[in-house]
Amino acid sequence: MKCDDSRIYLPAYLDDELDVGESLRIQKHLAECGDCRRAQDEQLALRSALRDPALYAHPSADFSKGIAAALRGAAKEEARAQRSSWFESLRFGFRWVPAVAALAAVTIVGSLLLVNRMRSSHEQLIAGAVLAGHVRSLQANHLVDVPSSDRHTVKPWFQGRLDFSPPVPDLSELGLALIGGRLDYVDGRPVAALVYQRRMHNINVFLWPNPGAADDAIQQEDAQGYQILHWNGAEMTYWVVSDLNSAELLEFARALRGH
Amino acid sequence: MKSPEKLSRFEEQISPHLRSAYNLARWLTRSHEDAEDVVQEAFLRAFSAFEGYRGDDAKAQRAKAWLLTIVRNTSMTWLKRNRNAGATVEWEETSEERREPSADPEELLLISCDREQVRQALEQLPVEFREAIILREMEGLSYKEISAALSVPLGTVMSRLSRGRDWLKRLLSSARPVQSEGGTGIR
Repeated sequence: MKCDDSRIYLPAYLDDELDVGESLRIQKHLAECGDCRRAQDEQLALRSALRDPALYAHPSADFSKGIAAALRGAAKEEARAQRSSWFESLRFGFRWVPAVAALAAVTIVGSLLLVNRMRSSHEQLIAGAVLAGHVRSLQANHLVDVPSSDRHTVKPWFQGRLDFSPPVPDLSELGLALIGGRLDYVDGRPVAALVYQRRMHNINVFLWPNPGAADDAIQQEDAQGYQILHWNGAEMTYWVVSDLNSAELLEFARALRGH
Repeated sequence: MKSPEKLSRFEEQISPHLRSAYNLARWLTRSHEDAEDVVQEAFLRAFSAFEGYRGDDAKAQRAKAWLLTIVRNTSMTWLKRNRNAGATVEWEETSEERREPSADPEELLLISCDREQVRQALEQLPVEFREAIILREMEGLSYKEISAALSVPLGTVMSRLSRGRDWLKRLLSSARPVQSEGGTGIR
């Protein structure tokens, strides 16, 4: 073997990716050639530098727990989808279990990743306004008027400032800390803004009464790197904005809605 | 597959590789927070797609390669979508890129093993070389597994590894004497 060949095969040799015959040939060459041996030493020095355990990045224990919790949540969600009535009849009536499971998986992926278009242009305007409100609250260092993680402090604060009393659920069990509340102005009226936080990601929740509006599904939109979620529920209109990833934000919205 | 059974199989086969998932995401995004976001998203995707994964318990390495493929793809999507798009540093290859193996023994073995220099060099490496190096050196994936994870042919894996190592050797051996030669594009 010549040096040129040896240099080409050397990395694969050191990575244990050569067959026996080629390995023997290169070993023979290395035994005879000082330059190639130095090249080998150099490769090995680089390898041991890269395999320095201190360069390996480890996740924190809290994060590992968070992942485990998120997985349990996803499993629960799937179980719910599998249980729902017409799925059930298909499952027992036919040998469609794999298809149903796949469909459930698709539904979940869909709900996590699919971006629903906001419906009306009026909603587009509001989406723009709440996004601006979110960005402003971060830029102007005016995230909250009433900084408190206690919902019994935040909720009464809105009395006398708004003509309605916004629900302020405690979601700390889900790893979502309440940061406080703020007055904001959207769609031509003063509204309540609640601020939650997960892992340094701020979540702004804008809400105001919408009497007579039918409850509907959570809509999701991606705008300028932010996620915007919107739904009507319990005679209130909700808008949620954050840079948190869509899956976790959806989980947050579901929890908020469930309260 | 019933959900509780799926969850326990997933926790048994995939969750143990969380550490590798985080390490890869951390090196690709170069940020702790971003790595956590990417890994969380990747795990939820992996869980959804787990039905299609036919691993057997004996092959832990295969499960790891499967998960790392998802983490890598999620990271790439994330890098494209976010401000960090500049992470795909286009490094202009200078003409001296393919340097002949030098016969001068002085020039060899100059590799710095200073940990911070190695860290910086690795972070500066263009992402297509960086991902191959991390998968090979830190995660111990075979060429075939890397080829599957990156969706590139085996020959490309070999050339990226080899070029990536050359970059690193160059960065590490010139880090002290010559800082930058007239802006070779190191950002």
